[in-house]
Amino acid sequence: MLRNTLSRRLPFFASLFAGMALWEIVGRNSSPAFMVPLSETLARFWQLVDNGQFPAQFLDSATLFLTGLGLAIVVGMPLGMLLARIPAVRLALDPYIMTLYATPMVALIPFILSIMGFGFAPKVLVVFLFAVFPVLYNTVEGARSIKPELIEVARSFRSSEWSLWREVMVPYTLPFCMTGVRQAIGRGLVGMVAAEFFLSSTGLGQLIMSSSQNFDTSGVFAMILMIGLIGVGLMRIGSMIENHFARWRV
Amino acid sequence: MTEANAAIGIPATSASAAKPKRAGSALISRLIAGGCILLAWEVIVRMFAPAYVAKPSNIVMVIPKVMTDPLFWNSTAQTLGAVAQGLILALIFGTIIGLLLGRSVTMERMLRHYVNGFYAVPMIVILPLVTLWFGYTGAARLATIVFAAVFSIIINVSDGARAVPREYLEVAASFRSSKLRMYIEIVLPAATPYFLAGLRLAAGRALIGAVVAEFFAAIGGLGHFILYNSRTFHHAEAFVGVLLLAGFGVGFEVLVNWSTKRFLPWYRRDDRGT
Repeated sequence: MLRNTLSRRLPFFASLFAGMALWEIVGRNSSPAFMVPLSETLARFWQLVDNGQFPAQFLDSATLFLTGLGLAIVVGMPLGMLLARIPAVRLALDPYIMTLYATPMVALIPFILSIMGFGFAPKVLVVFLFAVFPVLYNTVEGARSIKPELIEVARSFRSSEWSLWREVMVPYTLPFCMTGVRQAIGRGLVGMVAAEFFLSSTGLGQLIMSSSQNFDTSGVFAMILMIGLIGVGLMRIGSMIENHFARWRV
Repeated sequence: MTEANAAIGIPATSASAAKPKRAGSALISRLIAGGCILLAWEVIVRMFAPAYVAKPSNIVMVIPKVMTDPLFWNSTAQTLGAVAQGLILALIFGTIIGLLLGRSVTMERMLRHYVNGFYAVPMIVILPLVTLWFGYTGAARLATIVFAAVFSIIINVSDGARAVPREYLEVAASFRSSKLRMYIEIVLPAATPYFLAGLRLAAGRALIGAVVAEFFAAIGGLGHFILYNSRTFHHAEAFVGVLLLAGFGVGFEVLVNWSTKRFLPWYRRDDRGT
């Protein structure tokens, strides 16, 4: 048992260590303006934590991200189920939702900037736009795949519209919504950084921008590493949520 | 008996009778919905927004002007050229690495977490780094596109390569087929649907990567065309660029879905990733 897990874990740790060593060696042997070794990156990160810059900006970004994502879920999920419940409207709006789902939303940022200016609201709008369509699209697809028999049975037992939603629609669609939420988490993170880059500069995006403008390469690396790790962590949380709800999805 | 027949019969006949009619009415309701959206947009902008904000009537009016603008076509060609180039690079590297990951347990255990990790990194954060490395040039855009696209291809190809039925490989091995032939003739075809799904994702991400890089580094292209025009309050002109981008996004999606259905009809598409 122990041997088994060891042999399974060994390549993981070996490659992790090799990657760290490679980063360190390459970093030490190249110009500090282009590449910084891992040790220096971590030291710089600790500095940013210690002087309070990272925690403050992290909180700023987290507020933006969670507000946008929360709005996307609160709007996307009920709207998606409603659309699925009214086939005529869904049929009419389907191609437009698909189009918006496939449109690169970054292209709208310049418009949002010149119409709404700087501030918190336009940035929330960007995160919302990035995140809402995956939720909406997956919810509609999920609610659409409800077997008609389920609704017919509920109907023949004279269930009210309310209990039909509570007992059939919502429980059946939730796993699909969660796939949308997982995708929305990934896209929302891109939206968050994009908003912080191209609208008013705040949060982690501002920290990475100012590091790059000050030719503080170790700061850039430290921030990329941290945002990357945050991305990995969020993705993992997303898959955990998805798997939790997918237990009975067929 | 008659009741049972009626119960079975009614939905069947009504479904078959309604089908052609429904297809036509779907189109009509879609057109009506589209008209309503455009009308609402026009009215809201006219009532509440400043004059420079894009509205459907303005956009339609500037389309001929934009279409005859060589800068517009030049920008489009630049962006699409870079996306195509980046996708080809991402396809070559992504397929090779994906096959390795899918067919070798050791490689998988060693590299899987790197691939997943890089895939989860929001691609936009590498912009300051690529502009540092490549300068404010097309090379920075190309690097962003490749970074945006390659990991979804690796992940999908490796999933596909792992899904090859073991019997096929065993038969090939018992006929003493060489490793290389096994890859080319069994693993690669079996992974094709996954590969197409990865390509669909990668193309969308590549397009975003190109636009973001053009915003960030002010490299000539469709993204820059949009940015420049909206900064100078030519919103309608800029929006034509957005429409073109949306067209490419949807067009690619449709193309991949169609070719999956046409050439790989046994494969049921399963959405994954972002």
